[in-house]
Amino acid sequence: MQIKKLKKHYLLLFISLLAMFLVFPSQWYPFDMRLTLTSWFGAENYRALPQSIITPDSQSELACPNDPSGWRASQIIDGVNIDESLPCLADNPYSVAAFVLGTNNVSKETLQRSGLTSDAIVKGRDLDGDGDPDEIHIRLEVVELNGSSPISKRPVTTYDIAPGVQPGIWVFAPKLIGMAVENFETQEARYSLKLPSPSIRIEQGDVVKVTLENTHYMPHTLHLHGADHGFIDSTGEGNDGVPLTSELPILPGQSRTYNLTPRKAGTMFYHCHVQPHVHVQMGLQGLFIIEENRPNNNLQTMNLGAGKVRAPSQSLKESYDSEYDLHYLDLDKELGVRIQENNDPRLITQSMHRDYDITDANVDFFTLNGRSFPYTFRESLIVSHEGEKAKLRVVNGGSKGIAFHTHGHKFTVTERDGVKLPKSNQTPQDVLWMATSQRYDLDLSFVNDGTQTYGPGIWLFHDHQNKGTTTDGIGPGGNISAIVDKGYLDESGWPMTRGVSYAQYFSADYYKKKIPIWESYIPSFYAEPEKDSILLFRILLLMLFFGSFLAILRSMFLQRKKT
Amino acid sequence: MIMSNKKVWVFFLNLIFMHQSYGLQHSMSNHHSMSGDHGGMVMNDNHDNLPLGCERISGEESITVSAGQQYAKDIPGAIYGMSQHEWNVDPCTRVTVTFINEDEVRHQWMVHGLPKYLYPAGMFHIEAMGGMSIAGTFIVPSENRNYLVHCDMAQHMEMGMRGQLVVGEGSGDLWAVTGVTDPFYRASYLPDNLIYLSLVVLFLGYSLTSWLVRMRQKR
Repeated sequence: MQIKKLKKHYLLLFISLLAMFLVFPSQWYPFDMRLTLTSWFGAENYRALPQSIITPDSQSELACPNDPSGWRASQIIDGVNIDESLPCLADNPYSVAAFVLGTNNVSKETLQRSGLTSDAIVKGRDLDGDGDPDEIHIRLEVVELNGSSPISKRPVTTYDIAPGVQPGIWVFAPKLIGMAVENFETQEARYSLKLPSPSIRIEQGDVVKVTLENTHYMPHTLHLHGADHGFIDSTGEGNDGVPLTSELPILPGQSRTYNLTPRKAGTMFYHCHVQPHVHVQMGLQGLFIIEENRPNNNLQTMNLGAGKVRAPSQSLKESYDSEYDLHYLDLDKELGVRIQENNDPRLITQSMHRDYDITDANVDFFTLNGRSFPYTFRESLIVSHEGEKAKLRVVNGGSKGIAFHTHGHKFTVTERDGVKLPKSNQTPQDVLWMATSQRYDLDLSFVNDGTQTYGPGIWLFHDHQNKGTTTDGIGPGGNISAIVDKGYLDESGWPMTRGVSYAQYFSADYYKKKIPIWESYIPSFYAEPEKDSILLFRILLLMLFFGSFLAILRSMFLQRKKT
Repeated sequence: MIMSNKKVWVFFLNLIFMHQSYGLQHSMSNHHSMSGDHGGMVMNDNHDNLPLGCERISGEESITVSAGQQYAKDIPGAIYGMSQHEWNVDPCTRVTVTFINEDEVRHQWMVHGLPKYLYPAGMFHIEAMGGMSIAGTFIVPSENRNYLVHCDMAQHMEMGMRGQLVVGEGSGDLWAVTGVTDPFYRASYLPDNLIYLSLVVLFLGYSLTSWLVRMRQKR
């Protein structure tokens, strides 16, 4: 009886082995066996490779939203001349006027349209009698973008660096009255709350106060990197913003005023110095520019989101036609996400300052003036006009170096870290290596001589380290922007490019890695292939028979044990 | 997650408060009636205009709200707070709020969801600069309802300045009102290596039970 049962088992065992052999995919046979089989039977018959999957149309944003408020045009507000800003999205000209005159001197209507509080930028007396105010009081708040909420899993006070890309960010912000969001229907941060922290402009010799009102939930300070300031101020208070050496950090709900009267002009930097390896990289950093003293030098004290200066200074206008602040910043998504995972400041602190290890970190997002391509094309184009000359003030606020490169132009470095270079060192170049926190002042000339420019066009400029041109590894993205001749901009301020369509780059799906990269101009050709269903079916069958094979083996083993 | 019907309803109400019922651009804020000075501002101050359904002002209520970091000191996980986070008033009451900001930074006391024909964007808003005290007045509608009150500076509501104004019987508590209701998404406060601990306890349960079974069989 027992033996008969065992025999039956052997038969079943054989059948399952045979079934496994039959369904075993022939492309997995050992190489030599495949060669032998080929010599006997020749190659296998043609079986078409899987078809391409048709990519469904994805929602694209409008590349260039229109400008119903007329902010782009040149205009005079409260007597302040505001230059035109041709790209799609321009700075609020009322804010610019308030930054030039001071929120205490501007008309009530302008102040209201600027969104600023009346004490945001207070300008006082003209101390040297040269026609411009020299007492300047600047207020900054600290704002979290794309943070968490106890009632929603989605980020709040949102700010997209690229379509659908919302890393957690901290910025210094101008003092704005009212809500942090654009309106009640959205969680979108209001227009003036953006990355990077605003560029700040003061004049050499000004008596400057910068008050940091810590509206955030962590301690912060203000450190004026490169700018001439005392270690302590006249009252004996710490003035350097460094908790290790000069003072305690400013706690949530508290404020502190920093004082300086800089003797030297130049392009400097400001940043938080509390746990700087985290806080600086979260975005608490901005350009701090000290302009040379000139008569009637009314400065645009803040330049929100950096970029084109719409009311450039007297000192600038002596030698240049336009001025641009270029703020480069890279972001680590593994750091930014830590303010989104929890809503308890104790857990956030633990996660950012103990669990996060920057020595194991890498960066994923690369921004120019707070945005990555294609948004850089909306607001961070450099607009050229033949024969003119622009001054670029560039800072690399990121944690890695940048190989700044311009197409179609060679620029000249005039200053490094706010100090003039000798004329003999000023030679044209088209790649510039910039260390972390380094500033360079560049002359970008639009004289068509084969060196300064090769002529009008749409010329990219970007970090030439390849990863800098991607957004979390997806290109084109990162800090790509362009120098565009006026003649190449359409009515709305969008560059009249002649290459690929930008529609897919304005879709969040593209940066979520859901769209084949060349889909826009050769649809479905390089699309994702369908899965090999036949092979898949055979593998599943193989597993099924292998399973029954094991079961038979087990039952034989148990039978043996009994006997 | 198990939610009672009431909680589900309140949750959706909450979402509506947060995202839908208000539709005015900030750039159009000149349409609000706004009074302000260096100390702050009041938006949509209303002393006399009655909401629909109110025949007359039913009563006067004075609320004094102090705000700042110190009001969060005793609340674990909060950074900013108010002297209280829940207020009860009768329908059609004229409410005067004195908002005292004890911090050195801006704070707001903002009510959402009021009728838009009286309060543009459906809000009543007091904003006080650091160290300032600002008072404003508004008349609450006639229906029983809970209104979200918060500070709309980035992360101030999320970090504690979230309250509710209960008119009459109210319409159910909102989530995450500081010190009153739980956050809808509560963070995890579990130890890191919980998996090992769980496995040990699982093994303990298994061996204890088999030991008991064996003892019983022996008997």
